[in-house]
Amino acid sequence: MLTYLNEAKAIWFRDLRSEFRTRYAINAILMFAFTTLVAVSFSLGSFRISDSDKPFLYAALLWIILVFSALSGLARSFVKEEEAHTIDILKLSARPEAIFLGKLLFNLTLLGILALLIVPLFILFMGYRIEHQLYFSMVVLSGVLGLGAGTTIVAAMIARASVRGALFSALSFPLLFPLMITAIKGCERAATGMDVAGWHEVKLSVAYLVIMVTLSLFLFPLVWEE
Amino acid sequence: MSVQTPAYSLELKNVAKHFGRTLLFKKVNFHLHPGEIIAVTGWNGSGKSTLLRIIAGLIRPSAGKVNLLKSGVPAGSDGRRKFTGMVSPALALYDELSAVENLNFLARVRGADITEQEILDMISAVGLQGWEHALYGIYSSGMKQRLKMAQALLHKPPLLLLDEPFSNLDSKGISRFDSLISERRRAGMIIIASNEQREIEYGDRIVNLSE
Repeated sequence: MLTYLNEAKAIWFRDLRSEFRTRYAINAILMFAFTTLVAVSFSLGSFRISDSDKPFLYAALLWIILVFSALSGLARSFVKEEEAHTIDILKLSARPEAIFLGKLLFNLTLLGILALLIVPLFILFMGYRIEHQLYFSMVVLSGVLGLGAGTTIVAAMIARASVRGALFSALSFPLLFPLMITAIKGCERAATGMDVAGWHEVKLSVAYLVIMVTLSLFLFPLVWEE
Repeated sequence: MSVQTPAYSLELKNVAKHFGRTLLFKKVNFHLHPGEIIAVTGWNGSGKSTLLRIIAGLIRPSAGKVNLLKSGVPAGSDGRRKFTGMVSPALALYDELSAVENLNFLARVRGADITEQEILDMISAVGLQGWEHALYGIYSSGMKQRLKMAQALLHKPPLLLLDEPFSNLDSKGISRFDSLISERRRAGMIIIASNEQREIEYGDRIVNLSE
């Protein structure tokens, strides 16, 4: 187990180093996120939205920005290996499970940066009032982890396809839909101050994460080896 | 008390490959032992590189079996990862990493216990001293070929797969590779896929896929 984790860590650090030097994925994700956030905040600023509609509407907009920003860049983790022809050296050297974990950690790092920058800006620009801040933070955290797990396995599946961009969104969206609905509901509850004692949405998102990672660890070797 | 190092051998049984209806080769059989070199030759498109990719475990054969045996027991897919080194025109290392970073990364994911000094020594052995910290992306094609050889030899694999190993090399590079191949021949098994006479001549046996 320790050797798997060491190999995964090596892949994670290598991807971070490459990303730090090229900034392909992070630029794509952040550019999409910032332009969408600015467009949303300007366009909604001209409408009068009732206070009762705001919690749901803002939660939905926040997760639309997060999910589609993620879709704009996370496929790169596997696609760049295919495009740069480094996929064979990776296959020759590392075990599939370690590759999946390494890529997952890399995608989670990118998503963490995205969430840390975009969520506070969204709250600031939109005047988003949140009653249960801890619950909101936990919903965002568990949602982002689930988002990373869902997109990483799809990124591996589409790496060899010719129409990768369209396929990535088309395959990811149905897979991410239950997570999005859960996260939107959780953020809405956190904003309105409804009872959050059961931590329902956080539990559901964590369950989604566990199921996705477990399934991916079984499926990934089949996807990866031819 | 003497410690015996495990004896490796490679066994191919009725290996065949076709892509759709196009048959590349069928019934490829051989047994390779330590200290031996097999040269795989054949016309363009006869499947030389594909056969090496099958042996490396990168693609599956359409029929037949490839067994890397460790003391007579199949080493499995993880064994092949640790015990195989490959040089091929289709392989690429990471452009945005230096030679040292590339080799250090590959050593770590292979779980090989290799020191920084051993990495530097290997880089020198292929004639890239002075370029250790330059990015792979700025290397010439001959320098890239040298670093590919370094990564293939770094973890001291018992099986070395060389697909057109001298391509893009200058005369000094060929001379270095010649020494490295001769050195590795004593320690392990080598398969060379090529149409070049000087590369085929290394083979103790020749497998011609066009026949």
